[in-house]
Amino acid sequence: MGDEGPGSTVHLLCLAASSGVPLFCRSSSGGAPSRQQLPFSVVGSLNGVHMFAQNLDVQLNSARTEDTTVVWKSFHDSITLIAVSSEEGASELSLGRMLHMVFGAMVLIVGLEELTNIRNVERLKKELRASYCLIDSFLGSSELIGDLTQCVDSVIPPEGSLMQETLSGFAEATGTAFVSLLVSGRVVAATEGWWRLGMPEAVLLPWLVGSLPPQAARDYPVYLPHGSPKVPHRLLTLTLLRGLELCLLCGPRPPLGQLDPQLLERWWQPLLEPLRACLPLGPRVLPEGFPLHGDILGLLLLHLELRRCLFTVEPSPDKEPSPGQRRRLLRNFYALVVTTHFPAGPAEKEEDAGSPAQRPRACYLVLGPGMGWRLVALQLGLRLLLLMLSPQSPTHGLRGLATHTLQALTPFL
Amino acid sequence: MMSDPAWRDSRGRSAELPGDLSSLEEEEEEGDSNAGASSLGSCSSASSDTDLEPEWLDSVQRNGELFYLELSEDEEESLLPETQTVNHVRFSEKEVIIEEDDSRERKKYEPKLKRFTKILKSKRLLPKRYHKKSSNNNGPVSILKHQSDQKTGVTVQQRYKDVTVYINPRKLTAIKAREQPKLLEVLVGIVHQTKWSWKRSGKQADGERLVVHGLSPGGSAMKSGQVLIGDVLVAVNDVDVTSENIERVLSCIPGPMQVKLTFENAYAVKKETIQPKKKKAQSSTNDLVKLLCGSETEGIQPSILGTPHIIMYLTLQLQSEVSKEEEILYHYPVSEASQKLKSVRGIFLTLCDMLESVTGTQVTSSSLHLNGKQIHVAFLKESDKLLLIGLPAEEIPLPQLRNMIEDAAQTLKFMYGSLDSAFCQVENTPRLDHFFSLFFERALQPDKLHLSASPSAQQYDAASAVLLDSLPAVRWLTLPQELKVELDTVLSDLEAADFEELSEDYYDMRRLYTILGSSLFYKGYLVCSHLPKDDVVEIAAYCRHYCLLPLAAKQRIGQLIIWREVFPSHHLQPPADADAEVFQEPEGRYFLLIVGLRHYMLCVLLEAGGCTSKAIGNPGPDCIYVDQARATLHQLEGVDFRLEEQLASSLGPCLSCADWFLAAPREKTDSLTTSPILSRLQGSTKTVTSPTCRRTFFSDYSFKARKPSPSRSSGGCEPGEGGESVGTSPHTTPDAVRKQRESDGAEDSVALLKLTRKKSTLPNPFHLGNSKKELSEKELEVYNTMKLTSGPDNTLFHYVALETVQGIFITPTHEEVAQLGGSVHTQLIKNFHQCCLSIRAIFQQTLKEEKKKTLRAAEHSESAESVAALTPVKEHGVLFECSPENWTDQKKAPPVMAYWVVGRLFLHPKPQELYVCFHDSVTEIAIEMAFKLFFGLTL
Repeated sequence: MGDEGPGSTVHLLCLAASSGVPLFCRSSSGGAPSRQQLPFSVVGSLNGVHMFAQNLDVQLNSARTEDTTVVWKSFHDSITLIAVSSEEGASELSLGRMLHMVFGAMVLIVGLEELTNIRNVERLKKELRASYCLIDSFLGSSELIGDLTQCVDSVIPPEGSLMQETLSGFAEATGTAFVSLLVSGRVVAATEGWWRLGMPEAVLLPWLVGSLPPQAARDYPVYLPHGSPKVPHRLLTLTLLRGLELCLLCGPRPPLGQLDPQLLERWWQPLLEPLRACLPLGPRVLPEGFPLHGDILGLLLLHLELRRCLFTVEPSPDKEPSPGQRRRLLRNFYALVVTTHFPAGPAEKEEDAGSPAQRPRACYLVLGPGMGWRLVALQLGLRLLLLMLSPQSPTHGLRGLATHTLQALTPFL
Repeated sequence: MMSDPAWRDSRGRSAELPGDLSSLEEEEEEGDSNAGASSLGSCSSASSDTDLEPEWLDSVQRNGELFYLELSEDEEESLLPETQTVNHVRFSEKEVIIEEDDSRERKKYEPKLKRFTKILKSKRLLPKRYHKKSSNNNGPVSILKHQSDQKTGVTVQQRYKDVTVYINPRKLTAIKAREQPKLLEVLVGIVHQTKWSWKRSGKQADGERLVVHGLSPGGSAMKSGQVLIGDVLVAVNDVDVTSENIERVLSCIPGPMQVKLTFENAYAVKKETIQPKKKKAQSSTNDLVKLLCGSETEGIQPSILGTPHIIMYLTLQLQSEVSKEEEILYHYPVSEASQKLKSVRGIFLTLCDMLESVTGTQVTSSSLHLNGKQIHVAFLKESDKLLLIGLPAEEIPLPQLRNMIEDAAQTLKFMYGSLDSAFCQVENTPRLDHFFSLFFERALQPDKLHLSASPSAQQYDAASAVLLDSLPAVRWLTLPQELKVELDTVLSDLEAADFEELSEDYYDMRRLYTILGSSLFYKGYLVCSHLPKDDVVEIAAYCRHYCLLPLAAKQRIGQLIIWREVFPSHHLQPPADADAEVFQEPEGRYFLLIVGLRHYMLCVLLEAGGCTSKAIGNPGPDCIYVDQARATLHQLEGVDFRLEEQLASSLGPCLSCADWFLAAPREKTDSLTTSPILSRLQGSTKTVTSPTCRRTFFSDYSFKARKPSPSRSSGGCEPGEGGESVGTSPHTTPDAVRKQRESDGAEDSVALLKLTRKKSTLPNPFHLGNSKKELSEKELEVYNTMKLTSGPDNTLFHYVALETVQGIFITPTHEEVAQLGGSVHTQLIKNFHQCCLSIRAIFQQTLKEEKKKTLRAAEHSESAESVAALTPVKEHGVLFECSPENWTDQKKAPPVMAYWVVGRLFLHPKPQELYVCFHDSVTEIAIEMAFKLFFGLTL
């Protein structure tokens, strides 16, 4: 993105908890992967202080300096992940969730067995290399937000029901329950089974497909961190159009060869036009002509129970700031809102929390002189809407605008 | 003040100096009445005082410090109107002497010698410090301990019985509204009839014995089955009670709990000889203090002790393994839960060292899990020392902890010059223990420390402490001009220091001190200040840490004298440049004198050196200055009631109670049918608004700007109406408004200033303020009962406005809040302060960035601005919904009320922060409200 100062870097360290051997270190600087690494002594002492605390029955979670945040997390007493971020607005929440995603990605690629029971460190290191691509996408600035919200990035297809029917029929024909249609890492349509996937993998699988180099078809072994961390499944992907991929999650059957072009053609040829229309939905998420207020610069809608989200920064692309900045602002705002005002988070229903007498419903933020952008968050039932608005939007009208937008979007999510 | 420093009461002294006691007391009384009589601070009162031994002289410590507190018992009268108002005799046994340092042995001087030295001193022949003297060698008795010897002696006689009953003060909230309840009856179930005749005849003027005249059915006392009619209630939880203080003692019970009642058996009463009244009154006051401070002294406060919390001061220069724990220079408390935190200090040292080397910036905080509890630890590094404070996350959110550590460090520097001199001197340890015991108690049990006259004020205090304690400002009471002038004059008179004893010609000596300035507090509110902002803020922080402000607010202080050397940062800063033109602060020493009398507290900052003589050694308080300060306070006696008036009906904006809005849907229907309050109150998410109530800023604006255009005001923007209007709203609004909206705070307020000027010529129809006072028109504009919100109804619930240039903030007074009452409102206030704390954390981030930016701007001409972080935030609002707590109606959903908590930060022209809480029905513009609040707010 190039918006960040030179100092803003994220380091991710992975160590074997028992031996303290570093398994890998990944870094990104200004949103792009970088080779800049922390010196070994620093890695050692970062891990050392966490281990020292653990020996004293104290769990060290995080530390902050004036511009840097460090978060420690250990998984299954065998892997320690440490994130060191000097990005502006980095919060414990976002780093913590990132570490969860990173560990999920590691399990996805190599399986839990390998990680909890490390026999050969060198071999594990080699195997983990396959996950770098996916892990780096968490460190850099991705177009998606699922890593932070723990909701599946999805889009609103133009002819949703037709596509859904076709997908179900196709799933039946191939004998798999888990099928989805993805456009650049976002779910266009998916079968019931696919939507029921557990948390890390529901986000991770589309993310993985989006991060792999383009190929016509793949047969990729994956472990499911939540559903089946020890037994691998097969992830089959078939490119229908460039950027538009069909994903199947299945056991040993059907073999990739069985999904011959005829089968695909039979099912998907009739939908060619709608599929074409899906292609630009990658970054735009909302279908063409969706009535969105002109002041809206960015939008994030989460459904807390379905665990899906819509995230776009494409509206009014000609206005300031750049999409990358909008994404960062919305990400930071999401982290702020969830940490301070809507702490129930996506996991719990707020009604269960003893129904506190004072419930936050909405909040807004007006950025200072020179920027003036407004950020609004509104929670209604199970939906949480975050908007970024242009400076000309009046402060007192923010809530009304958000309510209206949310109502307009409700049928879709 | 409350714990470790020993409290010496006259009983403690009487044990030691039995012969001296009575005479001393008489002298004291005389002195008091003298001072009271000659209330104009003339030299006569001062000189007559000098013939007497000031009662506080005994408690001056070797290092010159004095902390002397004597509680007044007059207040009981004001609190209990039914008590008869006879001429009140002030008894010296009321006095409570606090000594901060009891570890030292002090020599006792003979009274004669004392008198002699006193005379010498008055002639300035002896330096003051020769007057240190006299204390108990065996360590002063702490009055905070249970007076066990007295009590046990009593129980042995079989005349007394202890009955434990369960008391639930929550019962009160139901009844409270109507009238002053009789707590004894309501809570305990004991009926006691006040007998005027008996009181008059017997000399039991202010301490009638609490005879049980009856038991209310179903009350705790009856349930216990041990209380008989005719018994006399003598103590509640070992606090001696009489008819006079019982209500107050009972009102101090914070929550449902078991309470031990001590009764004198019915048959024994008859035989009982009249107890010396003195003794009784005395213990009751002492115990009041004990209630005020919580019974924390002995550290047997299981809930606090069980909470892991710690303060440590560590050195980073680790000498190689010389001995264990050598890096700990100071730590508190010594409890098991804290021990764990102490044992992991290695983590903190490593973090501090390592993270600084990695990131180049200092570590500020860390969080860890300990026994399933999340603990935040805040760091403050100074040169090679590290101060850290750890507290559980669920009690203290991280931003508050950051504020607290900075606040504590600032106050310690104010008291001791630097953290090093505070922590590294062994003799300071007991004082620091005391300081931090109060510190943690305020943090962990905020409601314990705020003993108030009324439970509502207590709740308000506890709720607001979260935010207000960390503001770099003092609570300010806005006063009308003439009152302000009066106070100013009185303080100026003191500061001029032209009283006779201070005349340099008279004694042909240089004065000891220059009075740099003084500030006056009334009931904990700053009412007048002639000190620079930094000094006031530091002094107020000192008072807050020692709980003096709530003390003055709740209890009438008989006499409070505090004297200590201080190190105000403002005066001790090294000069920025060696320019001879600029005023250079003299290399002097500074002393703080606080004199308290009733609800007043006068803080005087004195300078020695400079144009006055240099201070040598550790001078103690000088009688003349103390007397002058006290005389000043006496002079202010007449102003009391006017200040009270201000407290009760402040000049600030009117407030509404949240409960009214919850009750509204049915009761107010007729009057409010057209109002948007209703449509939204009933929980509809659609923001439908009728044109009549669109009295937003816009219509207001056009009116004020003499452009009355009905079409505009009705077509003003309310984007909730529908997609169409949302899309077009910016075009329908007047351009001027739009421009203004886009501009930032500075321009806004300028524009508003212009607008408000115009207001005086054009009566504003929405400000139908109650202009009760007959003031000139100009004054009316400023002093009119302010209504902060727009719209037909007053929708403002609460506000806090911080003005950093003068170091003051304003917020509704305790009285105002108490008038509103309401259970929902209480919760709302609590929530408001908590929300403001998190809003303020964001603002502080912005301020920090802003500072960085100006630094950067000084280096580079243009720096690439990053837009990623949410840093320059100028406004943040949160919408809350609430419903009544216990809604019994199963069929209907409880009514829902929505309110905003909005914080607004102004960087230009001067940093100001505003936090308001208002009902959702009317859209508000924070700028406008801010302007109204800050207007005319000057010290």
